[in-house]
Amino acid sequence: MMPLLQKVYDFVDERIDLKTLEAKMMKEPIKGGSRWAYVFGSVLLFIFIMQAVTGVLLMFYYIPSADHAYASTQFIIHEVDYGWFILSYHFWGSSAMVVMVFAHMSQVFLWGAYKSPREMIWLVGLALFGIVMAFGFTGYLLPWDQRAYWATTVGVEIMDKTPIVGDFMARFLKGGPTPGQMTLSRFFVIHVMVLPGALMGLAGLHLFLFRSAGPAGPFRGTPEELKAKTDFFFPRQVWKDIVAMAAVFLTISSLALIEPVVLLEEAKPDPGDYHPEPEWYFLFLFQLLRWKIFSGELGQFLGATAIPAAFMLLLAALPFIDRGPERNIFKRPIALLSWTVVMIGILVLTVSAIINREFLD
Amino acid sequence: MSHPATTISSVKLAWALSWAAFWTGFPFKMIVALLLLAAQIHPWEGAGLIALLALSVPIDIWALGLTARTFFLERMGIEVRGPVGIGLWWQGAVLGVATLGVAYYAVGATAAVCQKATAATLELVNKIIPIPVAEQITIELLMWAVPTTIVAIIFLLIGLKLFGWRIKRFAVASGQTSSAGLQERVREWDDWRVPADPILMLVSFTAVVVLLTVAFWVLLPVTTTHRHPDYPPPPTDAVKKKVKPEELLKKTDASLAKAEAVLEMLEKEKAKEKKKPVGPGK
Ligand code: HEM
Repeated sequence: MMPLLQKVYDFVDERIDLKTLEAKMMKEPIKGGSRWAYVFGSVLLFIFIMQAVTGVLLMFYYIPSADHAYASTQFIIHEVDYGWFILSYHFWGSSAMVVMVFAHMSQVFLWGAYKSPREMIWLVGLALFGIVMAFGFTGYLLPWDQRAYWATTVGVEIMDKTPIVGDFMARFLKGGPTPGQMTLSRFFVIHVMVLPGALMGLAGLHLFLFRSAGPAGPFRGTPEELKAKTDFFFPRQVWKDIVAMAAVFLTISSLALIEPVVLLEEAKPDPGDYHPEPEWYFLFLFQLLRWKIFSGELGQFLGATAIPAAFMLLLAALPFIDRGPERNIFKRPIALLSWTVVMIGILVLTVSAIINREFLD
Repeated sequence: MSHPATTISSVKLAWALSWAAFWTGFPFKMIVALLLLAAQIHPWEGAGLIALLALSVPIDIWALGLTARTFFLERMGIEVRGPVGIGLWWQGAVLGVATLGVAYYAVGATAAVCQKATAATLELVNKIIPIPVAEQITIELLMWAVPTTIVAIIFLLIGLKLFGWRIKRFAVASGQTSSAGLQERVREWDDWRVPADPILMLVSFTAVVVLLTVAFWVLLPVTTTHRHPDYPPPPTDAVKKKVKPEELLKKTDASLAKAEAVLEMLEKEKAKEKKKPVGPGK
């Protein structure tokens, strides 16, 4: 190491014991060695940091008022230097976050990494999943164009159908009888303060729990084999993580360049010929609601709230129901089948919703 | 004597190499694509595509060479000297073009037949259980896409089998099994791939990232290329006059000379006035 760097290092080390910290951070043993399958969690952290950076830049210009939200967003796109790119990156970054959350959940599910002693990591992970989806829902309203306004209106309407608490939840979010300034203020504060705070806290907890339990490692191989292949976090896993982050960054940037954000007309209380539609990752739920069995008040509640809630509860209970020590996915036929069915179901419903949109347009 | 290379399945061998080489080269190609995009050149058509493909060739050769050497050594205990990447790459390219050509027609024909069959089947099902239109289209899509994909996969396997066979021959013909312990050689390789001086690696890595970032921001358009129809178009810059430095200098000189002359005149006048006798009443 260069002498100056060494001096700086020694200076800091003397004061905060950098060596122990470094050993703890970088020398974490990874059973069975580094793997590409383990990159998703780090990639999620990276995407979140980039969302925070681009989000702060957007907040320099964005005005969260019903009178100015649309104009200030248009200003960002058309007048602010590179504003269009920052906004488009933020937009595509949110989709990347959702895709990566699904990938990360699938990985830990298929690897059986939710099993004892990692139940708490899984539970905190589910809360993080909720936060990521809430980020998408609240962020979608902020540009205040027709798409934003009507997606939120429909979303809150659906929430309203929930018995007992629905009315309260809808009014709490809307802040009035129809979506307006109050709604925008609430969504803005939730999007830029509540959710980032919650995500940082819970991600910290998630990582603390992860470091306490240690990585689950591969689901195949005898303990001796795994021990022989064990490697430290640095440098091989760090390198894989960096390559994955770079690939994700390049993909998001390319999407921002190919399909930059273009707003619709400013929000108004008449949808005109615009067909309200949520972000693509809520489309499968939206499509479910088009089915006949989910028509009517009760049906809408079942399709939009009861079934997803029951599914989330099932996921939360999973480590406590599925207690067999077997982690090899090829020896857990029910788990493999369930994952396949859920993924195909989501795929079919999402594609159907897109086909429906083509019909409507 | 059975050579260690001959016991490995050709398909697995070719797949392992192609897959690892693909991901090794991918980030570099993405960087090229992103820089092209920032410069408003589409990397999927015309000059952009040609540039991307041309740059992909050396990247692929390098990636294939790197992964092949590692794989030969780790899994087969064979060390190959000389240009591995190019030796494998051209064979892969020829086989790839040939397989892709045949596959293109076979997959197309399968898709056509399956589409007809599924349409007929769904019509029948629909008479018994009515299905919503969008779901019907999606299921139809799945029903013909699945067999078509299977045919595509079969061709992929054939291509891999052929490529694997070539790779094996290559490894046996130009490689040497080493008497030294495999563990020893793998470690040697590992050390080569993970630089001994991580600080140096980090510094050079950072330097490259900074360079690429600067290039990216220089190329990136400042304002959006997708303007909103209702948003007023950007003010067209009035035709700017070209600045000619010499003329500008001459002009300045001229006006300075003029100013000097005026000043001189004023001073002379002042001097004259002072010489005048003081008038009465003062
Ligand atoms: C913003 C969201 C999230 C972030 C930033 C995050 C981050 C991480 C990180 C950095 C790791 C370390 C190892 C790895 O990457 O595999 C990890 C592990 C883990 N995560 Fe997450 N995670 C998130 C969401 C989730 C979700 C939604 C779940 C599941 C419901 C989950 C469940 C787990 C589990 C079980 C592990 C342990 C894996 C193992 O031991 O191999 N996480 N997470």
